[in-house]
Formats: sequence, structure tokens, C-alpha cells
Amino acid sequence: MLVSLITSEDADLRDRSLAEACDNLDAEALLAECGELDAFRRASDNLYHRVRALFFLQAIYRYHLPGKLPPQAPGAIPFAGYEDLLGRHFEEAIDVFLAVQQKEGASDAISSALAAAYHQLAFQTLANQVRRSVRTVRGNQWMFRMGHPADHPLRIRPELLKTTNHLPPVLCERTPVRMDLTHSAWSDIFFLGMDFPQGARVVNVSIDLAVHGRDASPKPPVEAYLRVIEEPVLRLTSIDLRTTATISALADVFDFAKDYLGLLKAAVIASGIVPPGIEGSGKSLADLLARLAGPGKGLELISSVNDIPKGSRLAVSTNLLAALISACMRATGQTQSLTGELTESERRLVLARAILGEWIGGSGGGWQDSGGVWPGIKLIEGEIAGETDPEFGISRGRLLPRHKVFNVEEIPETARQALTDSLILVHGGMAQNVGPILEMVTEKYLLRSSAEWQARQNALDLLDRIVEALSRGDIRTLGRLTTENFRGPLQTIIPWATNHFTETLISRVSEKFGDDFWGFWMLGGMSGGGMGFIVDPSRKQEALNLIHGIMLETKGQLENALPFAMDPVVYDFEINPHGTFGSLATGEDALLPPSYYPLVLGDSLRTPPADLSPARRAELDQFAGACQTNPAFSDSVQTLFDALIPRTAGKDGEVPSLDLLLKKNGFDRAQHEQIRKDLLEGRIGLAQNRLPATTVIKDVAPNDVTDFSGGPSTDNLVLGEKALADGEVGVITLAAGAGSRWTQGAGVCKALHPFVKMAGRHRTFIETHLAKSRKRGHEAGPPVPHLFTTSYLTHEPTRLFLEHVENYRYPGPLHLSPGRSVGLRMVPTVRDLRFAWEEMPQQVLDEQQQKMRNSLRAALLAWTQSAGEASDYTDNLPLQCLHPVGHFYEVPNLLLNGTLAELLTERPQLKTLMLHNIDTLGADVDPALLGHHLASGTGLTFEVITRRLEDRGGGLASVDGRPRLLEGLAMPHEEDEFALSYYNSMTTWIDLDQLLALFELDRDDILARDEVKITAAIRKIAHRLPTYLTLKEVKKRWGHGQEDIFPVTQFEKLWSDLTTLPDINSRFVVVPRLRGQQLKDPAQLDGWLRDGSADHIASLCEWS
Amino acid sequence: MKIKKAVITAAGPQQQHLPLQTLVSPDGETKTVAAFLLDEIFASGIESAAIIIAPGTQGDFTSAVAQHLDKITLIEQSEPLGYGHAVLQARPFTGSDPFLLMMSDHLYLSFAKKSCLQQLMAFAAQTDGPVSAVQPTHESKLPFYGTIAGTPVPGLQGLYEVSRIIEKPTPTVAEQELIVPGLRSGNYLCFFGMHILNHAVMDHLEKSFAENGAPLALTPSLDAVADAERYLACEIEGLRFNIEEPYGLLRAQLGMALAGESRDEVMGTMIELIGATRR
Repeated sequence: MLVSLITSEDADLRDRSLAEACDNLDAEALLAECGELDAFRRASDNLYHRVRALFFLQAIYRYHLPGKLPPQAPGAIPFAGYEDLLGRHFEEAIDVFLAVQQKEGASDAISSALAAAYHQLAFQTLANQVRRSVRTVRGNQWMFRMGHPADHPLRIRPELLKTTNHLPPVLCERTPVRMDLTHSAWSDIFFLGMDFPQGARVVNVSIDLAVHGRDASPKPPVEAYLRVIEEPVLRLTSIDLRTTATISALADVFDFAKDYLGLLKAAVIASGIVPPGIEGSGKSLADLLARLAGPGKGLELISSVNDIPKGSRLAVSTNLLAALISACMRATGQTQSLTGELTESERRLVLARAILGEWIGGSGGGWQDSGGVWPGIKLIEGEIAGETDPEFGISRGRLLPRHKVFNVEEIPETARQALTDSLILVHGGMAQNVGPILEMVTEKYLLRSSAEWQARQNALDLLDRIVEALSRGDIRTLGRLTTENFRGPLQTIIPWATNHFTETLISRVSEKFGDDFWGFWMLGGMSGGGMGFIVDPSRKQEALNLIHGIMLETKGQLENALPFAMDPVVYDFEINPHGTFGSLATGEDALLPPSYYPLVLGDSLRTPPADLSPARRAELDQFAGACQTNPAFSDSVQTLFDALIPRTAGKDGEVPSLDLLLKKNGFDRAQHEQIRKDLLEGRIGLAQNRLPATTVIKDVAPNDVTDFSGGPSTDNLVLGEKALADGEVGVITLAAGAGSRWTQGAGVCKALHPFVKMAGRHRTFIETHLAKSRKRGHEAGPPVPHLFTTSYLTHEPTRLFLEHVENYRYPGPLHLSPGRSVGLRMVPTVRDLRFAWEEMPQQVLDEQQQKMRNSLRAALLAWTQSAGEASDYTDNLPLQCLHPVGHFYEVPNLLLNGTLAELLTERPQLKTLMLHNIDTLGADVDPALLGHHLASGTGLTFEVITRRLEDRGGGLASVDGRPRLLEGLAMPHEEDEFALSYYNSMTTWIDLDQLLALFELDRDDILARDEVKITAAIRKIAHRLPTYLTLKEVKKRWGHGQEDIFPVTQFEKLWSDLTTLPDINSRFVVVPRLRGQQLKDPAQLDGWLRDGSADHIASLCEWS
Repeated sequence: MKIKKAVITAAGPQQQHLPLQTLVSPDGETKTVAAFLLDEIFASGIESAAIIIAPGTQGDFTSAVAQHLDKITLIEQSEPLGYGHAVLQARPFTGSDPFLLMMSDHLYLSFAKKSCLQQLMAFAAQTDGPVSAVQPTHESKLPFYGTIAGTPVPGLQGLYEVSRIIEKPTPTVAEQELIVPGLRSGNYLCFFGMHILNHAVMDHLEKSFAENGAPLALTPSLDAVADAERYLACEIEGLRFNIEEPYGLLRAQLGMALAGESRDEVMGTMIELIGATRR
């Protein structure tokens, strides 16, 4: 039946939502449908049929089947299938998982594995098709055939070879960026454009830009320069990234992550100067350049984006790539004219090459991103593939869209001016990865989820109305429509199109401007970056500064909660009437931008004049002349001087603050030096985290756990309720970590992140946890005391935040427990990096991304060696150099820092603590579970859940015959983990007195705050627990929103290792998945919202 | 269409002396490049030829083509104003007649019984419009040749109806505009260096020169004529040697020697040289 949703000629049936079709099917029927769909996708030779079937299968196994499966024993996921997934052998993985399903029956575990495998195969299939299409675009194909310099068919145009007094002419390409007036509802994703060309529509405006208050006036923000040089090399320079490289080997052109010049390299390749077909040929770059430009000659390519911040949502990178490609194509005669505008067919070719370049560079946006190549305002639409197109018979649409540039009859000058007069274009400061969003959009489109499908139709309707309003110059209506688009279709398709920051800005601007605020406009991708506010033109000047102030203030309040990459900025802009534009400067006028020279002239100045080539000498003369006569070069001498003799004062400023932080947070220098020594001598390391290979790891026996996976037994409910009513229970939420996976090491507090809208507002993790405790307390009588553990990184922001929100009006005791120990991160050893990258199973990426990763890893290994293995990691903000030392310490900290004493003073009757992770959103003080814990008399009751594919990092195991929680780091063999049925949720019910007894302490010691005794007690237990070495990723921010990610070494002791100690009794209960699952990655959010998890959490909460 | 006149261009800076170089033909005869061309031209039934030469080279040419002097007209191109301009100098000679156009820096070796020129003339005899000889050429050679787009004429193997002509296209442009069905991937139909042209080409050259002046190229006029009337291209079974390229003359000589009586001797010499010069 479901196959007909894919194959039907009837559009209504084809566009029917999968969810609706699955609603009335039971598990057996769903499995039968899966069998049919799988057979169908294997047999079908139609790409889009195959892909849609794969998405259907993924959705059924992820969302529809698990809830309908009968209660059963936990299923296992075969390691062989997991290995296939990592190696991108998706078909093989599916076969392995299906064989297990066939043999052992369907289970939650195997469904999760199948869902992951189908999901990845679907995206792989789509990506392969886009790549094939990019290669088969006419004008691109030859580049993949050319494999020898002697076959190079391009030649540098003679105009560029004519020097004047040794000064070569400079070709300059200036390109506007693009803003997407209708947002497009992500319909410019290639997959959508190729499957649903009639729905792929965008109104896209080319604009010049200036940062308000910094730059004099708007100009095309993207510039590329090209000239012929008298050396057989490629010299690449990015002015904004302050990087330059001289490339003399062909292989280095294809090494994208070696430096920050990947975009320039992609342009050199995609323009055909170094065609992709020659990669790996081992030929000489000098020979290739000789063929192209003449013997002994080379090329220099320079990029500049005039310090426009990254993540602007204005497609700066893609337009820069297009500008670079355009310059290279002009220089090699692939365009008719060397200067001026491009013809329509040339623009299309630049677009095709930019898509190719993005693919080569391992990135990729939408097809509208090169919009700056075209002039003015244009409608970009998908096109149905015709018989002569390479896509014909494969996809409904063509890879490349059609551009219709509006003329002044269609959108008059007055309307264009009205738009400019009302729109305030800003960058909110957040730069986030939009990759997950694009995947979500594609998946939802292919599943035709009814609300989203309807929203897509509405967005198309809104586009027509927006164009109509624009052509009338009716900007007030336009503002209303862009707001409607943002509130309606965009958030229906992707709820994450907005966030707390954006909502706060809108409400503050609205408050300030009232009726003069005509509308909000979302600029694409994720929220918090590029956006627009449309105001009455009479208030625009006032609004420019006011909105900037509002953004700065709001960022100040939220910067510990949300990952900001930079301070917000407001832009001045103008509509660009030319699109990309080339010009040629010769003789003394053939100058490069002033900020280029300090980057490259250092070498020339250090070389004795007699050793300089005539070209270098001429360039020095030219620069010296420009410094005296050209106002643009007035600061150049000072800048050059600073570049030659860098000052060191800035560096000194940071050191004391790091030292201060270490001192303040209890850094133990002696222990640190011991760890370094052990690490360098090979006594500790990633490999040494593992238990001996002879350890016997098995799954636990059924009687090692109490199974409440269908919901807790009510046997001891009364006991639990009484304990709650008597105020004997408290909650500890672990909130000391930064949530590295949540923000990829951005160093903000995950606990404060307003991650989801519930009951009409964005809610933080802290608020959600408090809302659950509020509800349980409310039901039981006395409020439940709630503690949040914090660290050097999270304490102050959390304290200030809670103060700001007035503790969310939580009625009970609410305490923060600050951390008392800290580590200093180290540069990893090559041995550990190699172990992590070569010995541990790795997810193989797709071809280009894998190349990028390999290249990046080579660069990181080089960095490790140059920075010094196991040396202190100090080359970052001080806070980014410290690390928490593991969640084991968080409970001992309560004893040490007086928080428990404070609580015991308030609540002397306190007997039980429920400890849980910040991301275990389903954990609450469930009286039935509490009752079970109390009745069992156990010291520590750990909650575990049945395992899914994504639950990695350890679990409940029988280790040499003893059940305990085993960290993934300590598994002797990777595959051991796959034999385990249960995953550790970390939620632990603690009998306070038994725990104190373990430390050989009692309540009096705590209340007496005997720090010396308590410290000794903690050290004694800590000493008995293993120390793990881990690699973490840390972000280093620089420039204008640029970020680098470095691996660093740190150490930790973990809470779950208490189960190794025989002196305290540990038991394990299996809880329902909704209670125990963790939300670790923003990419999980959408599934979490769709699979009922969010609704479940909302049902546990009582908001203030 | 019966062709009685030929035009050979030899006025380019590199071309001035090349036609005077001597080579040994496949049957052992030593003669100048110009003589090679003229022998082939007159053997194909053409009655008279004009050679466009640079000022001051008349004496050299006169002696180089002495054998055919009675059928030759030497025309000086006073200034180097482009290839189209050189061709246009022959207008008084061609009048309104169709004519064969060849370049003095190209030599040909046929794989068929008929010479390359005879193959072209045979095609031309079947049509009234212009015909250019073409050959499938790898894209790496595109920087050297004019290239056509066309569709095969049904039922006539090797004959194409030309729709577009572009001089020295980049492969990017070639892939977009010049793909011809039936050719191997990465190959295009490039000019072979001989054309049968008519007065329409001369008319267009005249008009272009009057309107745009120098430099005057030939290809845009050919492209314009292809747009206006039926213009054919025929594939030639043979080899073309561009003697202007580095080692072009050597290659031409080797080609001729290997195709003739001295094949074994030349191959022996080559092997000997290869062995002796091994590094």
C-alpha cells in the first residue's frame, strides 16, 4: 500500500502524508509494509522512488514502529552492522540488521539501527546524484577528463601577460552578496529543486554592504583579484583570514584543510585552472602553469570580503567562491569579456562551477546562494528537466535553476528605494551549523508530513504575494507577509527557525516601535544570524542604532546560554544593479587592496635589494608610491610596521587571568605535573583507559535488574509518596558541564539554553527540570529541594541567570553547588590522536568530506608537534583552557562546599537524593521508583534503559561476573558494548546516609563543615576510582566569527564507577525510554519533538 | 559545384618562410611545402591559385613555386590586419566564384585512395554552399583550431550541417555549444585547414571590415554565413600537420616518410637514435 504513495500517477495520493497512512497500521502490518518498501527500493531504477522509499523506511522504523511493538526482551544490535555503518557500507548494514530482525523479531534496538542505516543511505543516494549532476553539467565535464598538463586546453588571456615596468595587470572581480526576500522555505536545497522544481522558488536580491558605523558606504562586499606572477607557483591569499600560501606542488592544491585557503583552492579547481581530473596524477604544477600562462609563470589569487562577519546568512562564502571562479574564468578566456558584467549563459556557468567548488570543498548551500552573480532583484525558480538535459529521466527537475531578473517596469525604482528605506538588515551574532536543518527539511519534504506539506504550499502563495507587494512598493504589506511567512510556514516546517534570542529581539523592537514596526524577516538557515526588521522609513535612522543597542543588550543577557560567535552588527545596504563585475587595472594603477601588502611584503623587505626579482622591486616601488599619494594607503606604513615587528603586550595580559582562574578553582599543580609525566611516559593514555583484554564482559542476567520498562510497579508507590510528603527527597541536576556536543565546544551553559518551546515559550533545561520538581512537590505537599551542580564555567552565569529569572519562582529550596576542582587542558599526544583516529572505529565520511578530514587531521598532528605534546593548552580564552574533572566529583563537592550542610539544616529529614544529568529530561521524582528504591534498602539505585543505536558510551555489564556500570572508554573491545542490553541513563537514587558511610562520614561531619576531614575522605574514595584520559573538542574563535576546533586532552573520574566499589550496595532498574533518554545533540531535537518525547516531558511539568 | 580557384594564405609572421621549407614526399621526391600544396591543388582539377604573401617575400615565393608559376597570382597583404583580412585580399582574384582556401602552414597525408583535398572536392561537388574540411580533435587541441557545431546529414557518412563556428573555443564553451552527436567524448570537429568558400563569405568579410576595421578574423564571417545559408562540414580521412607548431615540420616529414617507400629505413634510424640518446 505504501509503495503506491511513491509510484502513483495521482498527485493527491503521491502527496499523502506517510504518518496518516501509518496511523491505522499495527506492528505486523507496518513490518509487512517495510518488507514491500525494501523490496521496491532494491528493484526500482528510479532515483527518487528509491530515495523516497528509503525515507519512508527510516520514518517507520524511527517513529511509527517502536511505539507499536509489544513489550519484550531488549534486542541487540550486531556489531558487524554497526561497523558497516561506520564504513558507509549502508546496504550491507541494512542486510545485517534485517537478518537479525528476521531471526529474533522486531525490537526497539534493531529498529533504531535500521532507521539510522536507511537514513544515511537515503542521504548518500541523494548526495551522489547531485554530484553526478554537477559533473554532467555541460561546461564542467571536460575538467574531469583532463589528467595531464600537456592536455590543458586553457590559456591565460594575453591582456594579463602584458606587464608595464615589470608590474603585471590586476584583474578584479567585485560581487554583491544576496539576500533572500522570501526565505524560500529552504526550497533551494538541491534535492528539493530536483524533485519538486515547481515548488523551488526564491526572490533573491543582490546587495552591496557596509557595517553600519564602521564603513563609509555600501559596496560589493566580495572581491577577488588575479594576476600573473613571475614564479611557477600558485600564490593564494585571503585578506580577511590574514593568510597567504605559496603552492608549488599539485597535491597541495587539493589539500583543503592544510590552511585557511580551501575556498581559493576550490575556485582554482572548479574554474578549470587546475582541473579536478588531474588530482592524484603526480604531475608538476609548474608544467601545468607553463602550459596555461607560459614557462616560469604562475598565478596569484586574492580574496577579500571586507571583514563581513561569517554566518551572515547572506551567502558571503558562496558569492566569494563565485567571484573567485568568475575571475579565474575571465582570465582563462572562458568568458567572452575580460571585464564588465557577465552574459546570462556565463552567469549560469559560474553558478554551476560554484556548486562544483562547494562540492569539492566539502560544503554546500542552496542553489540560490550564488545570487550575487546576477544583478538586482530576481526570481529564481526550479526548472523541469528537458529531453536534452543530463538530468532527464533521473530527476524531475534540473540541477540549475532559471533566473528571471526583474526589470524596472516590473519592480520600479521607487519600490526598490522604498525597500532600502525601510529594511534594517542585521547579524544577530549567532553562527550555527545549518546542516541538520537542511537534512530535516529534505526528510519532511519526502515524507510529505501533512502540516509541513501544507506549509510549503502556503510559502509558495506568500512568495507571489510578496512579489506583488514589492512591485507596488508597498513595504508595509511586504513586512506583514514576511512576518506571516516566519510565523507560519517556516516554523511549521522547522520549529528551530526561531529561538529565544530572535523572539526576544522581535518583541523588544515591537515594543519600541509599535505600529512603525512593519515586520520581521528571517534570512534563512538557523535563527540568530542574519535577519531583517522592517520599519516605517521615517524611523529608519533612529532604528539603526536602537536595534543595534537592543541586540547588544539581549546578547549580553543570553550569551552564556546561546552560542554567540560575535557581537551583533547592523548593516547599511544598497541593491546592486550589476551583479558580478570585472575590471582590469594596469601599470601603476594595478594595485591590490592596502591590507594585502602587510601580509606578503615582509619577505621582500627582509631580502637584500640585489636579490629581489625586478617584479618584486617594482611592486615595492609601487607600494611605496601608493603610500605617499593614495589616501586608501594612508595607514599602510604603520600596518606594515606592526606586521613586521609584532607587539607581545596582548599575550601578557592573558596569562595572569588564567593563573588566577586556576588558583581560584582549586587547581592541583603537583597532580597535573604527575599526569603529564605519566602521559608522556605512556603510563596513561586513551589505550590505557581500557580494562585488560582478558576481562570477561557479558550482558547482565535478567535477575541483575528490576524491569520497569513498561512503567514502574506501584507496589511501593505509597512508600514513595510518603517520603515525598515528608520532604525526605531532593533532586541533584548535574549542570557543571558545558554540553560540548550541544554547542560543539562553544563554552556556553547547556543548562541555560532555551532549547524548545513548551506551553508557548522557549524553556531552558533548568526551567524544565524545576517544572517537574514543582509538579511533584505540588502533588505531594512540601516543595522538593532542587540542587544544580556547577563548575568554574557554569556557576556565575547560572547564578546570574537564575537571579534574572527570579529562580523561575521555584517554591522550594534551590541551591547551586559550585565545583571545587579543576584541570588544565593539555595539547594531546600524537599517540592518543592516532589511537582515537586510527584504532577506534570511525565514521567514514563521504568522499570529499573524508578528504577534508584527513587533511585536517594531518594539520592537527602537525599542530600537536609544534605546540608540544602534553604541554599546557593555553592558546585560547582562559576559560576554554580549563576543564571539569568528571562528574564523580559533583556529589563530593556538595559535601565539601557546604551546600549539603545548608540543605540538611533546612531539611534535616532529607534521606534520598535523585541525581540526574542535565540532558535526561524525563527524570523526575517518580514516587513509584522512589518507593522501590526505599523498599530495596539499596545505597545506590541506577536507572538504565534499553539500548538504541545512538546510545553509545558504555552500559550495564557483567564484568568478570559482577554487574556494574562500565564506561565505553574502559571497554577492552569496541564490540563488547554491543553485547550489552542496557544503557546507563546516569539517573541515580542515593541513600544519603549510606553514601556518607562510604566516605566514612556522617551527617554531623557535614553539618560541622570539617573541610579537612571531608577532603581526606573524598581523596580516599577518588583514589580507588579509575582516572580516564579523554579527548575533547574545544573551539577557538578569532577574526569576524571564524572558529577553529582543536582536540585537547583532559582527565576525569566518573560517577558510575562507584558501582565498582563493593562497600556500597548498587542495584539497577530498567526504566521506560522516555524517562531515561538523553538529549545530547541539537540534531536530535526534531526527532524528539516528533516521536512524542516532547509531549511526554510537557506532561511532567508545571510551569511557573 | 565546380571549383576552379584556390587561395593560399602565407602572409602571417610565422608563415612567411615555412612554405619555402623542403621536405621529402612519400615517393622520395624533395620539394618545398608550397610545392606540396600546389601539386595537390592542381592535381585536384583546380585551374588557378592566388597566394597571399607578406610584403617583401615575393622573390622567395616566385622561386619556390616556379613549376606552377603560370597558374599563380601572388597578392601582397600590405599590413597584418588579421586572417580574415588576408583572405579578403583575394577578392579581386576570386570575384564571385567559389574558391578553395588553404593555409600554407598545413600539410596533409591521406588515409584513403583520394588525397585529402580530393575528398573535400568530392563533397563540394555535391553541394552549392560552403564546405569546410573537419576532423574529430581532442579538446586539449582546442586552443589551436576553429571548431564547429553541427548535425550529421542523414545518409551521408562524414557530412555535417554546420550550425555554429567558434574560433579556438575553451572546452567550457565547446561543451556547451559545440557537441556533435556521434563523436567520442571530449572530441570536437575542428577545422582541417581547407575550406570551399563562396562570395557570401567575401561579402561578409568586406562588410565587417568596413564596419569594424582591423583586426579582421575569418571565423565570425564563416559563422555568419553558416547562420544565413546551408554550410556543410566534411570529415576527411587523413592526417593534418600544422608545421607552425614546435616540431611540426619534423612531424610532417616523419609522417610522410613512414607512409612511403623509406618507411623501414626511417624506422631503423629512429630506433637507432632512441637507443643512442638514451639518458
